[in-house]
Amino acid sequence: MIIYLLCLMLFCCGLYCILVKRNIIKIILGIIIAEYAVNLFFILVAYRMEGRAPILSSEVEIVNMVDPLPQALVLTSIVIGLATTTLLVAIAMRIYEKYGTFDITKIKELKG
Amino acid sequence: MIAISHIIPLFVAISLLGAFIISIIGKRLKWIPDVIGNITTLILLGLSVLAMWTIVTKGTLVYSVGSWKLPIGIALVLDGLTAFMLITVNLIAFSVSIYSISYMERFTSKWKFYTLFLLMVAGMNGVVVSGDIFNLFVFLEIASVASYALVAFGTERHELEAAFKYTVMSSVGSLFLLLGIVFLYSYTSTLNMADMANILAQKSASNIIIMVIVLFITGFGLKAALVPFHAWLPDAHPSAPAPISAMLSGVLIKSLGIYTLCRIFYNVIGINPTLSSILMILGTLSMVIGVFLAIGQWDFKRLLAYHSISQIGYVILGIGLGTPLGIIGGLFHLFNHSVFKSLLFLNSGAVEYATGTRDLKKMGGLIAKMPVTGTTSLVASMSIAGIPPFNGFWSKLIIIIAAVQANRLGYAFWAVLASILTLASFTKVMKYAFFGKPRKRWSEVKEVPIFMKLAMVTLAIICVIGGVLLISNINQIFLKPASDVLLEGTKYADIVFKGIQ
Amino acid sequence: MNLTTQFFKFDNLSMFVGIFIGIFFLLIIIYSFGFMSQKKRLIYYYSYLILTFISSLGAVFSNNLILFMVFWGFLGLLLYLLIGFGQTEHASYTAKKAFIIIGGTDALMLLGLAIIWQLTGSLQMDRINITLNTKIAVLAYMCLAVGAFAKAGAMPFHTWVPDTAQDAPTPVTAFFPASLDKLLGIYFLARISLYMFKMSPALNTVLMMIGSFTIVAAVMMALVQHDLKKLLGYHAVSQVGYMVLGIGTGNPIGIAGGLFHMLNNAIYKSCLFLSGGAVEKEAGTTDLEKLGGFAKIMPISFITFLIASLAISGVPPLNGFASKWMIYQGIIKTAGNGSHLWIIWLIAAMFGSALTLASFMKLIHAVFLGQSVNEKFLSNQTSMNGGVINNKPREASPAMWIPQVFLAVLCVIFGVFAYRIPLKMFIFPSLEGKVEFFGIWNASLATILIIVGIIVGVIIYFLGTITKTRETEAFIGGEILEKQTNMRVSGTEFYDTIKDITPLDTIYKLAERKVFDIYDIGTKMTFGFNKILSYLHNGILLTYLSWCLLGMIILFYILLR
Repeated sequence: MIIYLLCLMLFCCGLYCILVKRNIIKIILGIIIAEYAVNLFFILVAYRMEGRAPILSSEVEIVNMVDPLPQALVLTSIVIGLATTTLLVAIAMRIYEKYGTFDITKIKELKG
Repeated sequence: MIAISHIIPLFVAISLLGAFIISIIGKRLKWIPDVIGNITTLILLGLSVLAMWTIVTKGTLVYSVGSWKLPIGIALVLDGLTAFMLITVNLIAFSVSIYSISYMERFTSKWKFYTLFLLMVAGMNGVVVSGDIFNLFVFLEIASVASYALVAFGTERHELEAAFKYTVMSSVGSLFLLLGIVFLYSYTSTLNMADMANILAQKSASNIIIMVIVLFITGFGLKAALVPFHAWLPDAHPSAPAPISAMLSGVLIKSLGIYTLCRIFYNVIGINPTLSSILMILGTLSMVIGVFLAIGQWDFKRLLAYHSISQIGYVILGIGLGTPLGIIGGLFHLFNHSVFKSLLFLNSGAVEYATGTRDLKKMGGLIAKMPVTGTTSLVASMSIAGIPPFNGFWSKLIIIIAAVQANRLGYAFWAVLASILTLASFTKVMKYAFFGKPRKRWSEVKEVPIFMKLAMVTLAIICVIGGVLLISNINQIFLKPASDVLLEGTKYADIVFKGIQ
Repeated sequence: MNLTTQFFKFDNLSMFVGIFIGIFFLLIIIYSFGFMSQKKRLIYYYSYLILTFISSLGAVFSNNLILFMVFWGFLGLLLYLLIGFGQTEHASYTAKKAFIIIGGTDALMLLGLAIIWQLTGSLQMDRINITLNTKIAVLAYMCLAVGAFAKAGAMPFHTWVPDTAQDAPTPVTAFFPASLDKLLGIYFLARISLYMFKMSPALNTVLMMIGSFTIVAAVMMALVQHDLKKLLGYHAVSQVGYMVLGIGTGNPIGIAGGLFHMLNNAIYKSCLFLSGGAVEKEAGTTDLEKLGGFAKIMPISFITFLIASLAISGVPPLNGFASKWMIYQGIIKTAGNGSHLWIIWLIAAMFGSALTLASFMKLIHAVFLGQSVNEKFLSNQTSMNGGVINNKPREASPAMWIPQVFLAVLCVIFGVFAYRIPLKMFIFPSLEGKVEFFGIWNASLATILIIVGIIVGVIIYFLGTITKTRETEAFIGGEILEKQTNMRVSGTEFYDTIKDITPLDTIYKLAERKVFDIYDIGTKMTFGFNKILSYLHNGILLTYLSWCLLGMIILFYILLR
């Protein structure tokens, strides 16, 4: 149980970072942290107590195997996260060129 | 003999292939992006019509990727709702790509634009055909990432700012969605939506499902820009190049937000009165707040963007009612909105192309100089304002009747109020942009090139004759199968399993 | 089922309205040939007019509420486009305002339509028969009636009419607010009040209240106007009050009077607008200060205008009197219901009639009688208006005066032969109940007497002129007024003193600030909300994200409750 709580804490850290920090780089980091928390949670969901790697072999009987599917899915999810993060960082760099600041509260020309 | 269900993966494959070819050779041969881009969207449009036809004649089609048996493998499902969404998406994509031939001359690297554009189309088509919840998420992310990049395409101050806000908010939405999917998976141990529906139907209600519902409403609400998850939209949609604004407002928020919301709540989790009231309240909030915000805008595209929020509210209200009439009205409004809102964004792009400004205060009397743009945007404005006989009138009429019929008089009243304010804000647009005294500074303005006109006129014609779609015979092919899918609710599972492989 | 009966119905009421729509359409087309010459985009103008004609016929004859709404709503769009042809500075603003009021009420009508469907399960107008005993039925009735009010221009949805009158091209005004929209609006009001709903006494009282209020308030506003067309516009509103009042009486004679008044009003109001438009075209302005003495220059327009003004003021034996007389009888008859309110309605109607006469005296004096503005001033004015007009004002072209004369003749005929022609042919057949008169008014006899009186008067006049009289210029304190334009008695200020009477002065002041304008109130409220919401969207990402989380928490709360 404690491990799920830790995972939740990680997620909350990420969320807190997105919501409270003003520096856009920190916001990006927050997104990454929250994303990792979700990925971790996905892996944890698939975990079975005393489970083993899901490798099929003729010698061992299939008992108590961790669910292999989430591991495959998380790989995809990490790749998606990577794409988003790259894009965000690229945009952040360009924003710094144009606005000369990393402070998100000062980047507010679009409003109303 | 290839089974007919093989057309389903083509929707994704063809657009990805187009994007690939353009990205490889488009940089060197200048004519490649235009030609390949338009051919791809044309083929997709043709395929969607074919898909619609097979749905009517043969019934639901299922394609299992890699020939894995359902529910283990990834399934692609083509049913009435999917075919309806495919037509909507690809119709708009086709007209937008025609429009882009001329419009995107303003920007350098056209090939990048077409690559991203086709990637986005691939993502949207993927979301719509996918029968697997994680696959749906992946396609949703493909479309989203492409759209983040497209919003920032101009790489000026405002574009970057909008893109950043959009990306952060949308990523947070995606996080919630992924979390929701994790919960659902842990609860049902399957990813196939049909299978999931079966398992959920057997299990009793639990708090996990509530958790999932909240996460999904937030996530899809962020993608669909429902109030209070809407704040990125008025920044992001105006900042993109006009054809992309048309795509974003016209179809992206619908296929990523509304379609998924409907699919999961109606066909997988199953709708209940509380959920339906939540949807209606969210819809009404968006409808009213969106229009109040829109009416005070002076930036043409920003005004349109706020109206997207408001019109999405109508769609959600109609679908949330859950009655057959309400769902037909909601889906019809979805289609109509994608037509007239795309048209309006294309018009705003045409005005910007000709005059270089988006500020309504600086325009005036443009209808004399740009008759095609002026007339088509009059048609679109009247459609969105619900003036008969244009298409928007019919869908609003159905939604209002459905709301009254379901004894939801209050919602009907708000729908009427929003309709009045929509009319008010579009008469404002017409007054400041197109009517009034012609200004001297625009005396040199010329009508836009032929391809842009072609796209606008096509969409305007659909606006004018849109009401025809309600005639019972056409309705049987177009709207009825789509609304049936939602009405049959969680029986969706049986239909998918019995579907033609 | 036969498609024709399902979607269209040709009964006496709709036939009669349809015929007159056709007549007005023809007259306006003829008039436009004269009036709209030298303007741009004429092809659009005429095609819009033709579309208007077709869709108003469609609206009148349709028997299905949705079909009706399609035509009805489309008319609003056409009005919007046609006002846009106005050359004045505010034309596009006025077009917008008119369209928002009309289109907005159309949206409310959709709600009414939806409720009717919920109540009866049918949208076929001749099958609907709802008793107004539930709140929801009353709501449905009110929603539909609001649409009719806005179209016809009854208060409080009237504000687009005076503005349109001022800014739209004159034929458009004569066609839309003056004739077509009256015919359609009152037709629809009659249709819902007589056929689709069973009226209750309370609702009848509401209708009569709106009617009386409209009569008096609009005519009071008309008294103090400075613009020819705007003044006429306020009268167009005021006259609607009589029709609503007539229909609100709920007894056959009152309703017949209301419908008859609708017809008469369309005739003389179009005539007034057309004659006024003729003056406008020659003078290049509609400002009463700058007009005067046109009776000599444009005798035909003067006579038609005079006949129509007498008709609108309810002077016997013209048609306005005939229909007002029937409405008065209808009001008196409501006394039988036991309520004493009829006295108020009657006084309001008669008072309104008197004030109408008063304001037309002012108008005729200012435009046709009085002293003409001196030539130099006029030519200056002309060049300022783009120099479209010939150097010297003269009588309008035949294309313009033929419709005027036709309408003026109709005014006389419908008044003198009220029972024999219009009532017998059009009004009575379209109503079910039998109409009983109790106040006898023999129009023909009266006419003969009046004609005799006039002849006697003329004879006396000629006998009188045998003795010498001296004709001279008007003068004050020995100074001949003609020399000084600023000393002209233009007639504009005739009734300005009523602006100083308390409490009328405050009311006028508020009205000038558009406090009573439902459109203005709506605009202010909307922009108030807009300001608040815009302020909330402050462009800071963190605010937006916290809304999302807040929304999520509320959702959790609702679902976990």
